[in-house]
Amino acid sequence: MKNLMKSITLLLVLISLNSFAQNADPKFLQATKTGLEMIANAKGAEDYLKAENHFERIAAVETKEWLPSYYAAYCNLYAGYTTANKELKDQYWDKALLEIDKADVLSANNSEIYALKGAVQFMKMSVDPRTRMYLMGESAESLGKAAALNPENPRIDLIRGQDIFYTPETFGGGKAKAKPILESAVAKFTIFKPANTINPNWGAEAAKALLAQCK
Amino acid sequence: MQTFKLSLLFIFSFTLAKAQTKISGILKTTKGIAVANANISLKNSYDGASTDSTGRFAFTTTLSGPAVILFSALNFERDSVQVNLDHGNLTLNLSIKEAMNQLQTVSISAGSFIAGDGKKGAILSSLDIATIAGSRADIFAALQTLPGAQTSFSESGLFVRGGSASETKTYFDGMLVKSPFNATVPDQASRGRLSAFLFKGTSFSAGGYSAQYGQALSSALVLESTDLPEKTTTGISILSVGGGVDQNIRFKNSAITVGGYYYNLSPAYSIIKQHHDYVKAPEQLGGNFQYKLKTSSTGMFKIYASYGRTNLALYKANIDTPAMPNYFSNRNFNIYLNSTYKEYFGNSWKLETGLAYNKDKDAGLMTINDYSRQDHLLEGKATVTKSFGQLSNFKFGTETFHTGRLESLNGLARTYNDQISSGFAETDLFLTQKIVVRLGLRGEYSSYLQKYNLAPRSSLSFKTSAHAQVSFAYGRFYQNPEDEYLIIKPTDFEHADHYILKYEINTTDRNFRIEGYYKDYNRLTKISNGTPDNSGSGYAKGFELFWRDKKSIKNADYWLSYSFLDTKRDFRDFPMMATPSFAAKHTVSVVYKHFIESLHTQFGGTYSFASGRPYVNPNNPVYLADKTQNFNSLSLNVSYLTHVLKQFSVLYLNINNVPGFNQVYGYQYSTNGLNRQAIVPAAKRDFLIGIMITIGDDTFVR
Repeated sequence: MKNLMKSITLLLVLISLNSFAQNADPKFLQATKTGLEMIANAKGAEDYLKAENHFERIAAVETKEWLPSYYAAYCNLYAGYTTANKELKDQYWDKALLEIDKADVLSANNSEIYALKGAVQFMKMSVDPRTRMYLMGESAESLGKAAALNPENPRIDLIRGQDIFYTPETFGGGKAKAKPILESAVAKFTIFKPANTINPNWGAEAAKALLAQCK
Repeated sequence: MQTFKLSLLFIFSFTLAKAQTKISGILKTTKGIAVANANISLKNSYDGASTDSTGRFAFTTTLSGPAVILFSALNFERDSVQVNLDHGNLTLNLSIKEAMNQLQTVSISAGSFIAGDGKKGAILSSLDIATIAGSRADIFAALQTLPGAQTSFSESGLFVRGGSASETKTYFDGMLVKSPFNATVPDQASRGRLSAFLFKGTSFSAGGYSAQYGQALSSALVLESTDLPEKTTTGISILSVGGGVDQNIRFKNSAITVGGYYYNLSPAYSIIKQHHDYVKAPEQLGGNFQYKLKTSSTGMFKIYASYGRTNLALYKANIDTPAMPNYFSNRNFNIYLNSTYKEYFGNSWKLETGLAYNKDKDAGLMTINDYSRQDHLLEGKATVTKSFGQLSNFKFGTETFHTGRLESLNGLARTYNDQISSGFAETDLFLTQKIVVRLGLRGEYSSYLQKYNLAPRSSLSFKTSAHAQVSFAYGRFYQNPEDEYLIIKPTDFEHADHYILKYEINTTDRNFRIEGYYKDYNRLTKISNGTPDNSGSGYAKGFELFWRDKKSIKNADYWLSYSFLDTKRDFRDFPMMATPSFAAKHTVSVVYKHFIESLHTQFGGTYSFASGRPYVNPNNPVYLADKTQNFNSLSLNVSYLTHVLKQFSVLYLNINNVPGFNQVYGYQYSTNGLNRQAIVPAAKRDFLIGIMITIGDDTFVR
């Protein structure tokens, strides 16, 4: 009887722990969702930076969660895309890399984190390709690591496809080469299910839009 | 009544819990400029806001009591203020201090040009060096497009700021390379032995360099080899003068590269008319081996070994007896070995060690005389660096060279050997992020000269604005006399003092620099009555300009260098102070590169100009008073990127001196001084065509 009670208590504890992990703190959940909405509605660098600040504030409090730093890095990646100033691009992407490292410390061997890292490294290369050729290798290494951790992660193919899409044909890129990779990304997006409502689930639209341009 | 009280209590507690405090304000720099996109946050809560373009922010919080407001922004130092949330809405006037990011931190730069991939303050990338028109991927030719270096074609080497070629020393991962040039033909410069593709970084220092480097009066060329290659690839190059193959094999933590080449210039010389009458056109054969091992996440062990042979023979016009041209033949062989190990210990200690060996032998016939010459160098080096603070460090180390020469003429031989041992210590002190001081000291002892020297080096840089800095350097540099004098008898160290002042502006796409210098040479080797002594001296002064712009013209990139040089010296066999024949007063180079995407092609052009150089006219009583005509050269290259058999390939064409300018390097006079002949390039125009194929990687790796 005592043993049974013990097992039940243990079970209850496990269930509650599990549900906590599943649902997280509602306040955290809500704040993250707010941030994701800010990203969804972002129109320019300034909006991404606002969202980035929002995630940074969450990250400062939630020192055990990897998502706030991950999304802060994501915002910096997009802030860089939408800025014309090369120096600012560099600074946003440098900051993104720092945030990625923070996320990596909190969640080791996370395919999503390495995929994002590969994207940022590639973009940093694009600022000054002639002097930063080495970053191409580093980006490929990060994406390779992401694929080894979870080959079904559709964002890896999206990022690879995107990189190849924008690389001139003469340098081994081009639409024709990007097409099969983007097709694979789109296919993977259709079956991809994030672990919960706030885990990374971006890119399906971008993959479709880019693939459409390959036709 | 009771219930009423209770509900009142409820309502009260409800409103209390929901009581919101509005926090608003403005964030400015210490200079009063609004800061946009800053993050204002309330410690231990998600509450906060971003500032708008006027630096304003506003947010509400339900927290109460004492609290801390944090504020941070890109390029500013994070700061905070204490507030109390119990007294209603708050209006804050915040000010934030500028932070220095890495790019905006001052750097030690007087005298130096840094080329490299992803390096701070890098002026050129490795790819830039490889694709300069006219350089044909030769590092030394590429560096001649930078200010400070003379365009010199009649002698191998880098002539920097009035210094002779022997005053520039080449370092491979910190280790001295004694014979960095291929075998030479009389009066023609030859290529460097080391491929530009071996290196990820190049630092070309025209003066004021670190105490780490000694035995170089003028200039240190510091080459830094690449790390592990990304993947296993095969590279094939087929040129109009020969070809080469190299195989990269990548393992998890290590890599092996094996390569070989064969060049034969005779087919090319049958098409391009040569100035000399070749009996045997240069034929070159060689191979190299590299092994790199990542010993830990921060440790790296590298070995590079190469072997090369060259054969050539020719008749050189004889001005005294035109009917009897001078015969010259040369068989050269060269072995080079470089091995280094680098590791970090703890957070702040770094150890670098190295071992290098170089042997270079020339032998052949000069008219009817058998000659041979063999140079060797064995070097060991260890350096320890301790970093402290955020950026500062202290470095010390020791190195020893065993060096010498053995030469013979018709069976008569002479030799000399020297052991040069040295110790050095140097510190880079960042007083603030805007001011850095480098202080160094180097001491050397030569067993052959039986003499010591002690050389102080110093430099100071400070940032004048976000992208601009001013630098000053002073240093003393010692060097043993050249082997050809030392083999006669030991004399004393030669020395030079460098004073350099520089101003530069660097942004991502544009670089501008102006540098002025004064060099004071003393104890240069002079031949008096057939024996060398140290009674020579000299000076060099001048200024240089450099401008590079990657932004103004789309898909194009160009740079412009100008050097003004005023130098005189009394050395070697000079009867008096004179400007040496390798020094032109004005030197200009313009390098232009343009990539046309639709054609998959990069076009490049290099224009070089040098004002006339002095030459000795025995009929003029003033020594070295005559000057050659101005030197002009325009080289073009085209690189077409394509796929051959589905492998990434580059088709390449380079033409030197396209317009066919007359180029005169100097004049040679007959013994009686009545006749002369011009020293001219081997051929008026010269072209190279080739294809480079990379197998195993369809992206651009080089």
